[in-house]
Amino acid sequence: MKSQKWVPYAFLALPLLMYSIWVIFPIIQTLYLSFTDWDGVSPELSFIGWDNFKLLFQDPYFKISLWNNIKWLIGFAGISVPLGLLIAMLLDQKFKGSKVYKTLMYLPMTLSFVVIGQIWSWILEPRCGALNSFLGIFGLKSVGWLSDPNIVTYSLIMAASWRQISYAMVLYLAGLKQVPKELVEAAWVDGANGWKRFIHIILPMLRPATVVAVTVSVIDSLRAFDIVYVLTRGGPFYSSSVMANYMYIMAFNNYRMGYGSAIATVQFLITLGFIVFYMRNVLKKEEAL
Amino acid sequence: MKKVLFVLLAISIAVSLLGTQKLVINSYMSDPAPKKVFAELVEQFEADHPDIEVTVNTFAHEDFKTLLRTWLNSSSAPDVVTWFAGERMRYFASKGLLEPIDDIFKGGFEAYFPGAFKSACAYGDRIYFVPQSWYWWGVYYRKSIFEKLGLTIPINWYQFLNTCEKLKEAGYIPITIGTKYLWTAAGWFDYLNMRVNGLEYHLKLTNGEIEYTDKGIKKVFEYWQQLVDAGYFINNHTSYSWQDAANYLFTGDAAMYLMGQFIKDVAPESVKDDLDFFRFPVINGEIGLYEDTPIDGFMIPAKAQNKKAAKIFLEFIASKEAQEYFASNLGRLAANKDVPAPDAHAQKGLEMILASNGVMQFYDRDTNPEMATAGMNGFVEFMVYPERIDLILNNLEIERQRIFK
Repeated sequence: MKSQKWVPYAFLALPLLMYSIWVIFPIIQTLYLSFTDWDGVSPELSFIGWDNFKLLFQDPYFKISLWNNIKWLIGFAGISVPLGLLIAMLLDQKFKGSKVYKTLMYLPMTLSFVVIGQIWSWILEPRCGALNSFLGIFGLKSVGWLSDPNIVTYSLIMAASWRQISYAMVLYLAGLKQVPKELVEAAWVDGANGWKRFIHIILPMLRPATVVAVTVSVIDSLRAFDIVYVLTRGGPFYSSSVMANYMYIMAFNNYRMGYGSAIATVQFLITLGFIVFYMRNVLKKEEAL
Repeated sequence: MKKVLFVLLAISIAVSLLGTQKLVINSYMSDPAPKKVFAELVEQFEADHPDIEVTVNTFAHEDFKTLLRTWLNSSSAPDVVTWFAGERMRYFASKGLLEPIDDIFKGGFEAYFPGAFKSACAYGDRIYFVPQSWYWWGVYYRKSIFEKLGLTIPINWYQFLNTCEKLKEAGYIPITIGTKYLWTAAGWFDYLNMRVNGLEYHLKLTNGEIEYTDKGIKKVFEYWQQLVDAGYFINNHTSYSWQDAANYLFTGDAAMYLMGQFIKDVAPESVKDDLDFFRFPVINGEIGLYEDTPIDGFMIPAKAQNKKAAKIFLEFIASKEAQEYFASNLGRLAANKDVPAPDAHAQKGLEMILASNGVMQFYDRDTNPEMATAGMNGFVEFMVYPERIDLILNNLEIERQRIFK
């Protein structure tokens, strides 16, 4: 057996090579570009040290983007995880047609964010969109869901959460299968009511699912791009911009590759923090097994 | 399987023996009308040149704008791309990413096109751009609404405000606009600046030589604010694309839209005849009448694979026949000087331009791309929060100093 220690490495060699070419190398290159003034077009570039980063933290639109990412982080995880849990709890009961409901609730997960953006652009259309028409039935005033700078980010989070809820739901449904029935029944026999059973038995048993749902939502919210791009392109005037979107506009619209790379670097470092936290959690669990 | 491979091999050998050339064209003509006409043009070209195999890749307009940079830099660049004349072309020419094409014009550029187009198509002393068509901007309006309310065409600013007010009182949205993609707001800025400060000032501004905090610019926004404060613009314009906003004009909810002639491309047949335009009203009688007349056309990337075929294609595009076909089917004005205006509407546009004192392309074609994004964001922000104008202009001035250092 000992002589075969090299076997895993042999199998890993090819993926590692590809990973280096397509992931590690671009990261290093982006880091390098973030210290240059490259416009993405010219053959030559010059090294400008920390200038991009200095400029970045004076840039009012970058601050808006960063702040919006924080709103996303809180809103995205805060909406989709509890709602996913709620729906999972409801659908975990055996009732007629529960499978149909599960499938329906899962459907948004099968759509890409671009499609979801398109659907929500019809829902949120200011004049005859579904949401404003619905409000109109009750005589409420139409809202500029995507045009009012004060609410546009929340509209986007709402649209994105629609999909994430079903993701959280699936995680919790799987988690609920792991909760031993005997334990819940024992609590019931001991006189714990529904709420107490939920808080003291089921929720702690669902902890692994919660960790995954929250961390994945947090990471997804940090790399939010598609929905923003489809629905508003970060507008009006950057009020719904997030870091990824602002980076895209800077790098590809404005030909400021160096500056865009600096934004990407900041975003990468923030996301890395969460990923390290997540991986440590996962690895710990694996070791426990 | 082997047989199939053999046949494929045989075909490819035969094709290469026949000397078939490939030609890849990336186009932004994604609206149905221009897309169709362009496809027909390509068919005609293929019929004339059976040895050239053309592939046309069409991209949505806004995506095209961001993708072009990548194509021009890639080693497998397309052979021909659609683009805009003026500063946006020069930006790439100055980086050595475009192929000079002086040699395709037999008898020189002026044998095909008006001499006035040359500067918009050239960088240094070389030509890089084949103009295909051009169009004018104007205030498009619904004739039937104006007739119903007994409104006449406003000539000056005072009359224009009056028209807006009457339309508003009658329950119409006086002016529709969709600012999701920003550039529509630049039309208002261009016209107001040209009417308030004149062409030379506007040219200096787009060249980065005038401060955004200048008194003249502030005055522009004072006029603009009169329209914003009175609520003459459509609500929620930041969530509409230009086409979404045009729908309000087509349904008859809105009465006017400052737009280029291409609005006719997306107008339904039923309202096409009811759609007319008038010249942007005069604000200061001492200042000449200046207009935006963007020129669209084609260029060849420096890294194109099949430059020979590309040049043959551009020669075809520059020809009177091809220009006439494109212009007449879309109601635009052909760049080729031998092609007359295709219809009465275009004739009217042409006459308006001929009677003007000078023309620009368009804000985002005349100024640096980065400045254009910053500027247009500022214009839209102003349209929503006019009270922030000083802050907006200060920010734009900071950007100007950084970009045009």
